[in-house]
Amino acid sequence: MDSRRSDADPVVEAYKKDIDRTLIRENLKLTVDQRFQKAMALARFAEELRRAGREARSRKP
Amino acid sequence: MTDFASLLATLAKHEVAYIVIGGAAAIAHGSARLTLDLDIVYDRSAANLDRLVAALAGYEPYLRGAPPGLPFRWDRETLARGLNFTLVTSLGDIDLLGEMAGGGTYGELLPDTIELHIFDIRCRCLSLRQLIRAKRAAGRPKDLEVLAELEAIEEENS
Repeated sequence: MDSRRSDADPVVEAYKKDIDRTLIRENLKLTVDQRFQKAMALARFAEELRRAGREARSRKP
Repeated sequence: MTDFASLLATLAKHEVAYIVIGGAAAIAHGSARLTLDLDIVYDRSAANLDRLVAALAGYEPYLRGAPPGLPFRWDRETLARGLNFTLVTSLGDIDLLGEMAGGGTYGELLPDTIELHIFDIRCRCLSLRQLIRAKRAAGRPKDLEVLAELEAIEEENS
């Protein structure tokens, strides 16, 4: 798909090249509820990673 | 972690007039980015300030990042004296905006919202088109990547 817009900002267009559209397409298949559930699961995972990181750093001699 | 469901539930229970904006609105539209707080633009009418105070009163609202022990009172007067509040609560982080950067007030934004039906709650969410418009108008460097994703979502939807 041609992503150029008539009012396109070249900086935004440059960022757009790195957007993973497969993730967007997968999200667009979900209901809004499912999108939020997924986001909260991701946030829980991020929090668990932070906790594990803190624990690992505190164990470091 | 921010409990989006419980925050939205207490806002709904107290019939607060607000619009979901920011990262949570982006998620509703299909964004794959992680957001850690709930951003809302709230109606500044006196009655709505009372409803907002009641909605969060049981969840220990406090200024995010402020040192503990500051004399912060969660009441209508505090809300009326300020405009935008970044809060931590026992349900997670919530940003209350009287006016959205690049967007406007609750009344100005309301025509550009969609109804979300989420967690068995109905609420208003900024439209994708208006979210893009506001991000562009705000012109903040930190928003460029977000803007790129929102425009990509709009293109995927078209």
